[in-house]
Amino acid sequence: MDPAQNKLLENLLEACARRDQGAFARLYEVTAPKLFGVAVRILRREDWAEEVLQDCYVSIWNNAGRYSVGLSAPMTWMTSIVRNRCLDWLRRPNLEVVLQRPDDDGDDPLEAIASGAPGPLDDLARSADAKALAACLGRLEAKQRQAIMLAFYDGLSHSELASHMRQPLGTVKTWVRRGLEKLKGCLGSA
Amino acid sequence: MRYRNKPALQDRLAAEYVLGTLRGRARLRFQAWMREDAQLRRAVTEWEQRLAPMAAGLKEVAPPRRVWQGIETRLGAPATARAIPAAAPAQPAAAAKAGGFWESVTFWRGWGLIATGCAAALIAALALQKPQVVEVPVEKLVESTGMQPSYIAILRNKAGKAVFVAYAGRKSDELWVKRIGLEAEPPDHRFELWGLYGKEGAAPRLLGMLPKDDKATIKLAGVADDSLRDFPALAITVEPAQGSGGSPTGPVVASGDCFKFW
Repeated sequence: MDPAQNKLLENLLEACARRDQGAFARLYEVTAPKLFGVAVRILRREDWAEEVLQDCYVSIWNNAGRYSVGLSAPMTWMTSIVRNRCLDWLRRPNLEVVLQRPDDDGDDPLEAIASGAPGPLDDLARSADAKALAACLGRLEAKQRQAIMLAFYDGLSHSELASHMRQPLGTVKTWVRRGLEKLKGCLGSA
Repeated sequence: MRYRNKPALQDRLAAEYVLGTLRGRARLRFQAWMREDAQLRRAVTEWEQRLAPMAAGLKEVAPPRRVWQGIETRLGAPATARAIPAAAPAQPAAAAKAGGFWESVTFWRGWGLIATGCAAALIAALALQKPQVVEVPVEKLVESTGMQPSYIAILRNKAGKAVFVAYAGRKSDELWVKRIGLEAEPPDHRFELWGLYGKEGAAPRLLGMLPKDDKATIKLAGVADDSLRDFPALAITVEPAQGSGGSPTGPVVASGDCFKFW
């Protein structure tokens, strides 16, 4: 996200904190497609994603005053709200989420990388902020990267990762843990 | 707390929380620790900064128009013309119109929105919070009041003030309730009383609509030993006059632990 866009979102959030309805509508207009994309990807059902998105924007409006510019970028703050709510949603009882998982979807980020087709990592590399992250992800072992991306983009739990990657639970947990450690080290030294 | 002063472990859990692989009870426990531990919250924010840029790579999907309309409706039409800032304790009527149940639940969580989500999850998180220590000299109480082995709940409002008590003898199916400072229902709304399960993910169970009298009884589904046993906490929500229909829809106005003692 470029600095100008960042500044725009900061200003809009600040205006929302002052109960500026116009700013809220504008904030929605600018950010909803991105955040809806995040929710649809994790939840894999547009009706659920719609509900979650509504919850999140109501939350964003109600809590705009708590957003703190110094702490995180506006899009990071809002994305975290959406991802957390999606993850909480997936934890609801009696969900038949397991029915549809990444393998029945042609949009697997790993396949996209393997095939050289444009995928999330390529898009990521285009965003100035995220270049370091893309580079560091690229340096992970393939399995570690795959586990982390499936968890992040598709909201897979450890056990879902294990069954999706056809590996023992312990192995997958280790991949995730080591991958995250390496990522932190790599980003820290970048 | 086991995780205090173990920065490496804290950092690892924060990473898995943000990534999304911390699930179930572990996630709820972690959310509870975050509320109490600024260092843990910092670790989470740092991981959010590390990982959130991944989302930049996702393709955008335009949400249907009805999503915005739904938001407007929930914030009260015209959209955001709410006079009451979120930070101030919301009046029940305004909150019912504006934030709805989950938004008001966030209030109980003391800080922010990191983990807001579905009803059951939040209410479970609420139930799993550290119980308040209430010193009840049980023997004396029994002695002086002839109180029988029973269930007792003390519900507090957002300011932490006890506003409502409920009591049922363990073999009785009548729950005695008393308002001790609970604000009146907003016009055209009623209060409903809910049992909150201690286990993760369980939807709250409707115990009944609160009579408008200060002192009243609610008929339980069975004797308290059966009907209250599974609820470590109770909560009161604002609901439409005709009732919620079994799932909470309005904001929480009071909640608290439900004790059993004999």
